[in-house]
Amino acid sequence: MSVSRFKKILIANRGEIAVRVNRAAHELGIETVAIFSDADRASLHVRYADEAYCVGPGPVARSYLNIPNIISAALISGADAVHPGYGFLAENARFAEICADHGLAFIGPSANVIKQMGDKAQAKSIMQAAGVPTTPGSDVLPTTAAALTAASELGYPVMLKAVAGGGGKGMRAVNSPAELEHAFATAQAEAEANFKDGRLYMEKLILRPRHLEVQVLGDTFGNVVHVGERDCSVQKPSHQKLVEESPAPVLPHGVRERLHDIAVTAARAVGYTSAGTLEFLLSGEDVYFMEMNTRIQVEHPVTELLYGVDLVGAQIRIAAGEPLGFAQDDLVARGHALECRINAEEADAGFAPAAGTLAEVALPGGFGVRVDSHVYAGLMIPPYYDSLLAKVIVHAGTREGAIARMDTALAETKIGGINTTVEMCRRIMSDDRFREGGVAIDFLPSLLAAGAPAAS
Amino acid sequence: MDWDKTLERVREAAEFCASSGLARFRVEEDELAIEVARTPRSVAPPAGVAETPLAVNGHSGNGVSNATESHPQTILKAEFVGIVRFSRPSVSEGTVLNAPRELAYVESLGIRNPVRAKGPGRVAAVYVNDGEAVEYGQALFAIEE
Repeated sequence: MSVSRFKKILIANRGEIAVRVNRAAHELGIETVAIFSDADRASLHVRYADEAYCVGPGPVARSYLNIPNIISAALISGADAVHPGYGFLAENARFAEICADHGLAFIGPSANVIKQMGDKAQAKSIMQAAGVPTTPGSDVLPTTAAALTAASELGYPVMLKAVAGGGGKGMRAVNSPAELEHAFATAQAEAEANFKDGRLYMEKLILRPRHLEVQVLGDTFGNVVHVGERDCSVQKPSHQKLVEESPAPVLPHGVRERLHDIAVTAARAVGYTSAGTLEFLLSGEDVYFMEMNTRIQVEHPVTELLYGVDLVGAQIRIAAGEPLGFAQDDLVARGHALECRINAEEADAGFAPAAGTLAEVALPGGFGVRVDSHVYAGLMIPPYYDSLLAKVIVHAGTREGAIARMDTALAETKIGGINTTVEMCRRIMSDDRFREGGVAIDFLPSLLAAGAPAAS
Repeated sequence: MDWDKTLERVREAAEFCASSGLARFRVEEDELAIEVARTPRSVAPPAGVAETPLAVNGHSGNGVSNATESHPQTILKAEFVGIVRFSRPSVSEGTVLNAPRELAYVESLGIRNPVRAKGPGRVAAVYVNDGEAVEYGQALFAIEE
């Protein structure tokens, strides 16, 4: 019944999340094995682990995605489980299978669920079958006439999308029937040129949505709980999140409970057995399922502080075959939690990443303040990986109190040598619309467009 | 990648670095990146990657060369995480190599990944023990031409 089933976990990741997993494992009395690239030798995630193996040079394809070297490191170190963190191999079903083939427990859901949720079309149809609301859309549209019919059924505005699409290619927002004819022809040509497949379909365009997500936990005994929602609407123009909070402020009546119910139903429907997140768009009172992330997420500490639950520890215990150990009624949200991502980026230059050596690092602290990070003064930030340096997470009795605590924490945060998002996050904390709560995903782009101080 | 050509390029880069008086010099082309750096005093022993005076990073070769005026050295490094096994007859410090040969292999997921000396020379140092677990980039042998 104890986690003695795992004696040693290999953490197949780097940076702050590797530090986070390392802590959870040590607290459970489990030894840890770090992996690192040539460029990450000096990272704290290497220093904190009990053992560490270099698995390749800087570029990710040859190190953090180098499955043979990672599996070899697990085998020669005698690890019995692998935690993939987020990104890299975390949602790679083949990696989960390879771990299993080598007798290593993969700390995450089953390879089959990863595969199903990774295929966006399949995920959508599974969710629809489970009664989860998804973005209304059409089948493949053979002609402009079919597109006109579909659009009038869905209601304008709509988005034309390429069946084979990706990266915004073959996508067109359409506001009226007059626009549709031309948009259909150009989107088709673009899809044909890019994917050698000109087939198009249509989805209702959700205008100025909020991005909400629900944390779920499922074990191998069929227990499924939600651990509340997070509001991640403060996103960079690239749709990467910058500020996250829980609970989501100013929701229409009944939406919160509806989201929680949908998430639990969906997680049960796929037989989910780890920590996972269902992402939704909220428009007015309507919620639309977007996708399910079958991994621990960057912003998970917000939920941990709000509910007092160790999500990474839960992942490990679940993978070791333990029951969750708590029921839905045991989970109570207290107060308000906020997270700001401190990235090595220049916010006023379109969040351009800034690699370099950290000349100074002073991280905040105090009551209700948590910092997850792998950096220290003198560390060189290599250019190969994401720009996340640290996450500052605060917890307080009220949202107002949490914002004040975050602002104080950000004022204490001094990172010298490279550009960071600290000042941008402070601007967000002092913005009236943000303080009021309930901003949509166009909030940060509009703040950037309006606010770039002393630019131009 | 043609190893001899790579070594030739490294030699050129090292000579250029020395003749130009540069402390550090990096050149990149296609999939090959060569970075050479000089230490102010003669030559430091290749104890670790960071201290190695002259490094080559390429897609196939991840060897580190250590050039002295008299006896250029090549450091053969592990390109895989695994267990290093010495090939027979096993070499030790001072072994003279008359021709290219396999010195060891790194066993990784049941696959033998050979570690070869690319030409005649002398084994200047052996940094690992037979059967030891090695990581990517770990120095295994120093070969003196």
